Amino acid sequence: MPKPGLDKVDRIYEKDVAVLEGMDISGHWNRMFEQRVVWDYSTDVLERITGLPGGESLGWCYQCGKCVPVCPVDVVGDYGPRKVYRKAQLGIDLLRDPDLWLCTTCMNCLRVCPKEVNMIEIMPAAREVAVQEGRVPPELQKVFENTARYGNPMGESPRKRAEWVKEAGVPVTVLPLDPRPVDVLWYVGSYPSYHPRGKDAARAMARVFHALGVDYGILGHEEKEDGDSIRLAGEKGLFEVLAEANIRTFRKYTFNRIVVTGPHEYNAFKNFYPRYGGSFDVLHYTQFLAPFLPRLREMFVKELPYTVTFHDPCYLGRHHGEYDAPRRLLQAIPGLRLVEMPRCRENGYCCGGGGGGMWLDGFSRDYLRERLSDRRVREAVETGAEILAVCCPYEVSRFEDSVKATGNDGKLVVRDIIELLDEALGSPRAT
Amino acid sequence: MANDAVLVVGGGPAGLEAARGAADLGARVVLVEERDHLGGTPIFERYAALTHGFQDAEEVMERLTREVTTHPNVQVRLLTRVVGCEGSAGDFRVRLAKVGDGTSETVHVGSIVVATGFQHFDPGRETQVYGYYEYPDVITLVEAEAMLKAKRFVRPSTGQPPERVCFIQCVGSRDRQIGNEYCSKVCCGIASKQAIEIRQQVPNCKVYIFYIDMRMYGYWENEIYWPAQEQYKVQYIKGIATEIIQKGDKLLVRGEDTTLGRPMEVLMDMVILSVGMEPSKGTREVARVLGLKQNKYGFIEVPHEGLDPVATSVPGIFVAGAAAGPKDLDDTLSMAGAAAMKAVATVRRAAASPAG
Repeated sequence: MPKPGLDKVDRIYEKDVAVLEGMDISGHWNRMFEQRVVWDYSTDVLERITGLPGGESLGWCYQCGKCVPVCPVDVVGDYGPRKVYRKAQLGIDLLRDPDLWLCTTCMNCLRVCPKEVNMIEIMPAAREVAVQEGRVPPELQKVFENTARYGNPMGESPRKRAEWVKEAGVPVTVLPLDPRPVDVLWYVGSYPSYHPRGKDAARAMARVFHALGVDYGILGHEEKEDGDSIRLAGEKGLFEVLAEANIRTFRKYTFNRIVVTGPHEYNAFKNFYPRYGGSFDVLHYTQFLAPFLPRLREMFVKELPYTVTFHDPCYLGRHHGEYDAPRRLLQAIPGLRLVEMPRCRENGYCCGGGGGGMWLDGFSRDYLRERLSDRRVREAVETGAEILAVCCPYEVSRFEDSVKATGNDGKLVVRDIIELLDEALGSPRAT
Repeated sequence: MANDAVLVVGGGPAGLEAARGAADLGARVVLVEERDHLGGTPIFERYAALTHGFQDAEEVMERLTREVTTHPNVQVRLLTRVVGCEGSAGDFRVRLAKVGDGTSETVHVGSIVVATGFQHFDPGRETQVYGYYEYPDVITLVEAEAMLKAKRFVRPSTGQPPERVCFIQCVGSRDRQIGNEYCSKVCCGIASKQAIEIRQQVPNCKVYIFYIDMRMYGYWENEIYWPAQEQYKVQYIKGIATEIIQKGDKLLVRGEDTTLGRPMEVLMDMVILSVGMEPSKGTREVARVLGLKQNKYGFIEVPHEGLDPVATSVPGIFVAGAAAGPKDLDDTLSMAGAAAMKAVATVRRAAASPAG
């Protein structure tokens, strides 16, 4: 890069290839200089963010920097929670900065923060303003629109929500068609309902429930996206609509408890639906199945001689402190050997899908050296495991894509824990 | 006067507390103060709220002063200096001189407590980079304190309330060139306390603190620093300024933002220099008259033998407060209590063995 000869320039930005409104401005035509001298410390941005309900704690940061080394985004980019405060102090408006969309709300910063600066509350509060002001990355906007219209982020037909049932190989009670009282209301979730690999997990779940004689039903086309990640991405209004609709649907049926496939639904139902009048007993499926282990052990018929590593979902582990149930299930499988990645349990590395990250990969690409899921897949491969076990529906699709992207196809297979249990129970349909 | 008395030199917080303590223990006390009033630096320099606790300095000092002046065991000598001393522990003959008229008397005491305190660093003394004597809007913690007490916090140049004020920490402390290598210990807390008071009195004024590292030991962290940042939105910037330049009717503060590694040049209406502590003139003088060892900075040296934080190099003479080095009020009052106890014990021991 040519030396500009300006001693007051901190950094020079220049894209080799850039097109602006159809005009080629590659190379020096788009060169920009960053001011070197700090002229002012503004309090306006900090006052605005800390004035938002939920944004208060941003003003508490005393710049110790403990958060940055454990921030999964900082590992692959420049974003870091401490820096969010520092940039605000310099007058850089978080509401118009890419930083606003890079946090995955994985909570690892809050875990180590001595001042309890809470990005899990700050980010949704700030994003809500950006959403209201109409500044949302287009791919996320599309997800909001799909969810509002169809009740799922993919924009699939609500009528197809329970189509996976046809190939489950076992009977599944769909409550709108057969509204009998059940012990368990299984909230399937959007990805297990529609994503091809998610559907594999849903079918495995149905078979395992059937084998255990669980008395359960699903909501079929009446089930809507839980909305937790929508809320964290800033669309609180849409979250409220979804929560109220789901609560109304839950109330139509008689059941003792809700079992969820995914940790994000778990978070929504446990921590946020009660604020809208919907208090239910809710369990993640690994928590529901762990007490069945004595029976499962007797029922396992197939040895799975695999080396497996497990990825802690942020919203099951750090957010809710559940690290053991998934591991107990895995370790009960005959022949299976569990190896841990260096970053596991409390310090588990985020897959990048939380807090709206699931729908921002295109946006984030400009600010990250690699996707968080790519990074995590490399860590999994380094353990020597041949299977990366997961129990969050966001992860199968993210990690399978990253296995290919990182050139590890054939070395590592991504499977939901429920699929492994299904296989050990001898299901002929298990892969 | 018999040798069962204790002489306390200095009528500030340390001296008053030592006098009250010794008198409460039953000793007779002679309290000597060079100024024409008791209360020491908090009264002389018109402190606002005390650090920590935020109580009104004048009220607290008046209460303490009243307890001493109304105590039947205490005699107060204002406008009086210590000019000579003979004898040893249990048997000192100290010559006192009246300021002004030169009359003197000799008192016979068994022990002495030195509580002659500190003075604020003069920021114009050796380095002129902050322009303390050039720019009216560059002031010190001391002047800010008096304005805050008067509830009239304004720019000296205009008489109007400022919109932007910054503190520069460590002025006169932690500096080999100046000769004050020590940390003055209280300035981080006092700057943060004043920052809170400024935000209370002038809510539209933005307050910045430029620091090397914030030294908010113990409860000052949660009682002063955290509220200053969290409730009062005081902006802490790591990196102290090097120089101040007048720019129009504002002050351009130049330094480095060390966490960014970039130069900073920010405009302020007022700059408050967080000046540290130096031994007072009285401390240097009394040390010489009483033959007490001073450390390289001029404070009275505490030998630190046998965990005795109030001992001096002379048996029977004790030190309390900032005469022994930078101290906050809690340290000062604790030392004063310990010094009173040791001073009375010395007197009693001498009385029990008249030969000694």
